[in-house]
Amino acid sequence: MLEGELVRLRAIEPEDRGRAAVWLADPEVTRYLTYRYPSSQGALGLHGDWLAEGWENSFANGVRLSIETKDGVHIGGINLHRIHPEDRKAGLGIVIGSREHWGKGYGRDAVATLLRFAFDEMNLNRVWLTVVDEHAPAIACYKRCGFQEEARLRQEFYKNGRYYDFIQMGILRRDFDALRAKGGGDA
Amino acid sequence: MLEGKQVRLRAVEPDEVEPNYRWFNDPEVTRYLAVGYPISRAYEAQWLERRGSSGNNFASGVQLAIETKDGVYIGNVGLHEPNAEHRTAVLGIAIGEKDYWASGYGTDAIVTLLRFAFGEMNLNRVSLHTFDFNERAVACYQKCGFQIEGRLRENYYGGGRYCDVIVMGVLRDGFDRMHGVAP
Repeated sequence: MLEGELVRLRAIEPEDRGRAAVWLADPEVTRYLTYRYPSSQGALGLHGDWLAEGWENSFANGVRLSIETKDGVHIGGINLHRIHPEDRKAGLGIVIGSREHWGKGYGRDAVATLLRFAFDEMNLNRVWLTVVDEHAPAIACYKRCGFQEEARLRQEFYKNGRYYDFIQMGILRRDFDALRAKGGGDA
Repeated sequence: MLEGKQVRLRAVEPDEVEPNYRWFNDPEVTRYLAVGYPISRAYEAQWLERRGSSGNNFASGVQLAIETKDGVYIGNVGLHEPNAEHRTAVLGIAIGEKDYWASGYGTDAIVTLLRFAFGEMNLNRVSLHTFDFNERAVACYQKCGFQIEGRLRENYYGGGRYCDVIVMGVLRDGFDRMHGVAP
């Protein structure tokens, strides 16, 4: 269990699947996500077949966690994928599926909490992510967490009838440590 | 068979273990690639076998041998991670025969493959990653139509240090203006 200020990150449980199915059926939630084909609960892209047996979080498997509020409401998921032992880097993905919890700092706290785990426990050197350029609240959130814009991938993402540029962002361990030393951001 | 000006691109054959074994165990070659562990002939053979049975197609991507017009096999070029909805793929290239470096073969192989990517596979974007110290490669990719889109800090570790990775991309329209999608 990873404790943040507003959220806790815990292992995914089979009963999370039903809520994930509801979120992924909501076009507002999936607007900027790769997820697009309607799918049955059993075949869910986010919380797939492995859900029944549970996901074993490890360096090799990657980390997939459910985000819940301090009073135990499951509001989304967060993960570290493509974890690379030599380069000591990982990609980060997050969804706050419960729309009533948008814009209240839960996502930012979840990202800050997972970054602390990535650097202080997994001993990573870099965490990166990609985000649709039009998704301003997400970009602002990642910046507050210490991510820097590193690349603009032109027309990398097709959704909603058009191509979007992808912004690739990255945070290094030293960026995170500097933010922490300042007591800034949410580190 | 894709015909360029200096090279032709053809499918890799399963019996071509030896040159691949030599190239991908050569530190001067792998210095510029995201590999570094010694590779056995058995592994190369399996890889070529798998590649042969999946074939070149949209779903599996494309892996082609680069040969000179007089039939010398000098390296490989490929399109990986094809995505049907985004119409994107990632390009990778290695000229393993060092005598053929810096003579335009790589540029010609890439332009030839991009013409196929846009003109036959109907892709919209091709991207690639290269290391910040590989200036010759960046210049070559720019000649092919790629633009620098960013720099991923400390994204790769090798040779005792982290280095930055340069992200480059080319769109169909940009390629068409520079080189023409129709042959």
